[in-house]
Amino acid sequence: MSDVGLVLIQARYAILATLRTPRALLFGALFPIIFLLLFNSLFTQGGDQTTTVAGHTIDVHAYFTAGLIAYALALSCFTTPLMTLVAARERGQLKRQRGMPPPAWTFVAAQVLRSVAFALAVGGVMIAIGIIFYGVDLPAQTVPGFIIALALGTATLSALGIAATALAKNEDSAQPIGAFTVVMLSFVSGIFIALDTLPNFLQEVGRLFPLYHLAQGLQSTVAMNPSGIGLSGGDAAALVIWGLGGIWIATRRFKWEPQGRATE
Amino acid sequence: MAHVWMKQDAAIQVTGLHKSYGEHEAVRGIDFEVGKGEVFGFLGPNGAGKTTTIEILEGYRERTSGQVSVLGIDPAHPNRRWRTRIGLVLQECELNPLLTVAETMHLYASFFPKARSVDETLDLVGLGDRHRVRVGSLSGGQQRRLDVGVGIIGNPELLFLDEPTTGFDPSARRSAWNMIDGLKELGTTIVLTTHYMEEAQHLADRVMIMREGEIVAEGAPETLGDQLGRETMIRFRTDNGVADRAAAAIDRQAMVSGNQATIASTDAQRDLYRLLEWAEGEGITLPDLEVRRPSLEDVFLEVTSGTQENGR
Repeated sequence: MSDVGLVLIQARYAILATLRTPRALLFGALFPIIFLLLFNSLFTQGGDQTTTVAGHTIDVHAYFTAGLIAYALALSCFTTPLMTLVAARERGQLKRQRGMPPPAWTFVAAQVLRSVAFALAVGGVMIAIGIIFYGVDLPAQTVPGFIIALALGTATLSALGIAATALAKNEDSAQPIGAFTVVMLSFVSGIFIALDTLPNFLQEVGRLFPLYHLAQGLQSTVAMNPSGIGLSGGDAAALVIWGLGGIWIATRRFKWEPQGRATE
Repeated sequence: MAHVWMKQDAAIQVTGLHKSYGEHEAVRGIDFEVGKGEVFGFLGPNGAGKTTTIEILEGYRERTSGQVSVLGIDPAHPNRRWRTRIGLVLQECELNPLLTVAETMHLYASFFPKARSVDETLDLVGLGDRHRVRVGSLSGGQQRRLDVGVGIIGNPELLFLDEPTTGFDPSARRSAWNMIDGLKELGTTIVLTTHYMEEAQHLADRVMIMREGEIVAEGAPETLGDQLGRETMIRFRTDNGVADRAAAAIDRQAMVSGNQATIASTDAQRDLYRLLEWAEGEGITLPDLEVRRPSLEDVFLEVTSGTQENGR
């Protein structure tokens, strides 16, 4: 089988396994969609409200919809792969995989493909809900920016998810690293709370991390009077830098052998 | 029988293999060969350096020094084609619990150019009726069998089986043995590690015992005791102190432990004849009389305990 074929068949079974993981579906797909419905009904009462993102005025529905898509991408591309890979590593599955003919990169590529497939499915459903039910406007002018932000976001978060497996000794530590960081960052990245209502220093903290720039990049494409393709060069650059950092760590620190158990 | 392997018949050749972890020398310069088509039993207590050696052969670990060739390739630089010729069943490996048995096999079959058919392989490991069952729902023994199935799906020339039957009940172990015998008949070279001496005795053409990083015994399981000059044991129950009289009658020493007497013999046929002749003449019965050649287990316990003079 060709290398591309090997990536596809491994991705197919990875997707199948994820579809059979209630936790992954609940956290990765259902939560963001429920949050989307909740936020858009709870926090946006009283007609037309707006906030600002990167100097542009944006309707709060569009703001929360785009922000929560960033949240969904983080869960699909960062949290789920982190937990799945650490679990597979600790049960010896990765070690065994390493002893088989396919090149290691085909396995990693299959994991990324799985993440991207889920991210696009969930992100697609969410933007559709936003457009149909909450009047979110994604003009043709910013569609390229929206797609580039999605692509950079999935790539960066996937690289970071794989890199973060090096921090987790076992499944028990993967869980908080995967879930907690995303929730915490969501509070300071303009996802759960509008950025302009946060104290300045928290905004500055959020700005250090990629989730902030992914959220802001997506929000910029659904602002009321976007400039250019919406996505700013600064947000794109921040995602690229974080992504390269993730790849740099992942290629050096990724472990195939179980770490939590003593070996002879 | 002990085999002498020609160089070109060797599946594995190891010369002067050393492996150190910092100060600790896990493998201290060992030499051995495994012939093509041979079932090679690799034994030793935990910490003897077995797993380290096996993982060097499998390409998982780098050695400190020495020469190693596995199917003509240095496993420190494994290539893809070499990997297609090798099957691995690792000591601790669980497969993805969320996939079914058949899905697991199809996935791994796709990795190998000359893969066996999934149905045939599942029949071979006795999971022919479990195709649609999720791996996570299999019993421990069934998961291990699936693991072995994954190890042989690629139709390997050389198969590493690291403790393949740990946790099996006796009947599952028997069927695993039949399967391994079947693979051997197909010409597969097998490197087997096990904690069950009976298993090594049954399956292996040749065994090697390691202790503290060194090889302490090597040979065919049935002749290992002879090679080490070990005696046959004649045993019987001694109810009223006949042990010493019996031993004296045949010019040997008896060891008595509880009510069991053991006489070590270098010429079992002659000693047994004289013992029975004496007992017959004296009108004595020797209850529970048994004659035992040193088993692989006896040899193993002896060479790995470090008290080689024990029992002499």
